[in-house]
Amino acid sequence: MKSITLGQFYPADSILHRADPRMKVILTVLYIVATFLAKNVLSFALLLLSALFLILISKIPMKLVIKSIRPILFIMAFTALINVFFTGGETVLVEWKFIHIYLEGVYQALFMVTRIVVLILGTSMLLTYTTTPIMLTDALEQLLSPLRVLHVPVHEFAMMMTIALRFIPTLVEETDKIMSAQKARGADFTSGSLISRAKALVPILIPLFVSAFRRADELATAMECRCYHGGTGRTRMTVLHYHPLDFVILCAMLAFGAAIVVLNRLGLGFTL
Amino acid sequence: MSKIRLENISYVYGAGTPFEMHALDDVTLDIRENAVTGLIGHTGSGKSTLVQLLNGLSRPTSGRVLLDGVDIWQKPKEIKQVRFRVGLVMQYPEYQLFEETVRADIAFGPKNMGLSQEEIAQRVAEAAALTGSDASLLDHSPFDLSGGQKRRVAIAGVIAMRPEVLVLDEPAAGLDPRGRDMILNQICNYQKQTGATVIIVSHSMEDMARYCDDIVVLSRGRCIMQGTTPEVFARSEELSSVGLNVPEISRVCSMLRARGVPMDEGIFTVEQAEACLCRLLAADGKEGRI
Amino acid sequence: MSQGWIRTEGLTYAYTDDTTGEEQPALHCIDLNIEKGEYIAIIGHNGSGKSTLAKLLNLVLEPTGGAIYVDGKNVCAPDMTDEDVFALRQKVGMVFQNPDNQLVATIVEEDVAFGPENLGVPSQEIRRRVDEALAMVGMSEYARHEPHRLSGGQKQRVAIAGIIAMMPECMIFDESTAMLDPLGRQEVLDTMEMLHRDKNITIITITHHMDEAARADRIVVLDDGRILRDGTPEEIFSDPEPLLAAGLDVPQSASLIHRLRKRGLALEGQVGTPGACVDAICRMYEARHKSL
Repeated sequence: MKSITLGQFYPADSILHRADPRMKVILTVLYIVATFLAKNVLSFALLLLSALFLILISKIPMKLVIKSIRPILFIMAFTALINVFFTGGETVLVEWKFIHIYLEGVYQALFMVTRIVVLILGTSMLLTYTTTPIMLTDALEQLLSPLRVLHVPVHEFAMMMTIALRFIPTLVEETDKIMSAQKARGADFTSGSLISRAKALVPILIPLFVSAFRRADELATAMECRCYHGGTGRTRMTVLHYHPLDFVILCAMLAFGAAIVVLNRLGLGFTL
Repeated sequence: MSKIRLENISYVYGAGTPFEMHALDDVTLDIRENAVTGLIGHTGSGKSTLVQLLNGLSRPTSGRVLLDGVDIWQKPKEIKQVRFRVGLVMQYPEYQLFEETVRADIAFGPKNMGLSQEEIAQRVAEAAALTGSDASLLDHSPFDLSGGQKRRVAIAGVIAMRPEVLVLDEPAAGLDPRGRDMILNQICNYQKQTGATVIIVSHSMEDMARYCDDIVVLSRGRCIMQGTTPEVFARSEELSSVGLNVPEISRVCSMLRARGVPMDEGIFTVEQAEACLCRLLAADGKEGRI
Repeated sequence: MSQGWIRTEGLTYAYTDDTTGEEQPALHCIDLNIEKGEYIAIIGHNGSGKSTLAKLLNLVLEPTGGAIYVDGKNVCAPDMTDEDVFALRQKVGMVFQNPDNQLVATIVEEDVAFGPENLGVPSQEIRRRVDEALAMVGMSEYARHEPHRLSGGQKQRVAIAGIIAMMPECMIFDESTAMLDPLGRQEVLDTMEMLHRDKNITIITITHHMDEAARADRIVVLDDGRILRDGTPEEIFSDPEPLLAAGLDVPQSASLIHRLRKRGLALEGQVGTPGACVDAICRMYEARHKSL
């Protein structure tokens, strides 16, 4: 039970790991925009290359990368099929009974699948695989801090996020304990109808809620004792600083976006 | 005769992964029928794993768990019946209470056994009495009780299944001295009244010395000692060498021996130490002869 | 009467029962003086009011009667501002029972930094304090670990470091060893005594373990919201009857000395810890042997 890790962070020493988390959030947004800008074979080829490049510099093992793609294989296949069979066009490739497959459909399917793969790979390399959840929380808190003017409780959300990250493993462990205890009294969670199984969860959920509330109460007292009083007047031990490297990466990303736009203009073959 | 016998039990977590860990390694031991056995060992000695093997909550990687000479995993589908015969009270059991009334919570186990309403009512009353929970408490919400009361209700919930073996993991943890004595006395009374076999896991050597007939010592997944309480505590140096405490009074005796006071071996209660010292201090003295 | 660093005058507290609305008294007119640098154990059965007392000293609970003076300042005065309360909590830190429920952050050093961050300490100073506090409790090598993977004793030491980083003058341990195994208990006790000895921090420890109380310089026994006894471990444990009546106990070594004295053996010296008990018995044994 102690082996549960949250998020997908993979510790390694790479440029992407070292980059400022705030910059990584910005880069991720830019990257997502870029994937939606791509329109023709050339720009999609560049997208694919960029994703491969990100994998290379992030030093994430290929095995993990493939693992992250696996859950979306179905969505990819589904998208591909829909596009192949239901996109109309001029150049007919296959015509059999009611099935018509056009060249445009094949292109469309390829582009869509590429877009999904690149989106997943790009965001995980730039953000989830290379940034700890806590760094991510810090980055979002700082990036969104201007919203405080509009009375958005940014600090409070970040604190809630941190506490949730801290307590999820504890509560998972606790659930395990409560389940064992109720099993020892003959509770059965695996047989019976759906309704009886749902009912069997009551002896787990009630103690779990009671315990979560007790923990919340004790934690609130402990935080009060450590002078917590919200975000005002609070300093931080780790202050995020942008380094020259961060701006180099930003420039590279902007150049990449520009390249996509330029390639889009070299009307070559099918365009979206 | 032995009520429970563990035969060459091994338990491995995460076999085949880099995190592979042998929680128990070829453990063979016997739990005597109709006695209170204490199980001692460090955190990580395999105690908690062993406890969950006794009632079939987990299945050993290899080896057999024999209850009255029969392998409990002979018919894996009927493992639930074993859990009714070997009652397990986990650590801080009060955190598992969930029903609206104390009565309903104690009845949870018997209900799962499929007993009749009358039988359940009778067992609830009996279990409440055995754990010293007042009958007037039965209609209260378990969440309104004090810490010690909650603990007793939780134990009653297991006793109501009338288990032949009662296993308790740290039953006195976090209680004050009076609450601790009360719970441990009730467990021992229960043992005497019903003739059940009781197994107590505890870190408190003082409590173990006082309440247990037998002691089993685990260290790093192996059973390094088993015997009667006097036998095990007579080997206090060995216990200390694996980093386990001995009762404070045994420690005092060892210190006295080291300073040249010829204390008897194998003292583990205050009464024994008192008798021995009265002899030693009075024998040569001119005054204070007793 | 001496003016202690912490002084309570007629300190009273009553809970209001949620269902009946009745007042449930928890503490009655407690007069207590605690000097700077003392090492005090507060013992008492469950519900004797010892945790309430601890929470009052830190103003987690507000007294319903009486006053508390800390460092000459009445902290119950109506003109106390939020800043004054923070100043008090910075001076008097508190470590709780459940190690899981007092760690806030997902990384050890971030958690230790939590207190100073709340106090608005500059970043570099926080870094220095965190490193120092972790070194003090022997947890430096775990600085980047996740708290939920640590043992109970280690978690509790991180919690202690979190208080030390606020630079307190007094620390209250509210049953901080109750949920730990013997190894973890020893780690916490050693840390506690090191803070008392080397850093001159006033230690107030609330405990059910009589052997832990025996290690303090002074023991206060609470019973049903009143101070039953107040004295050195020697004074408290040499008279077990009131303790037993109050649902408490005495350490085995103290019990042995007491029993021997009752048998007419005039053992002299301190009672309480095993060491003191051995000294007393050896002295008598040697005296008897020399006299032969």
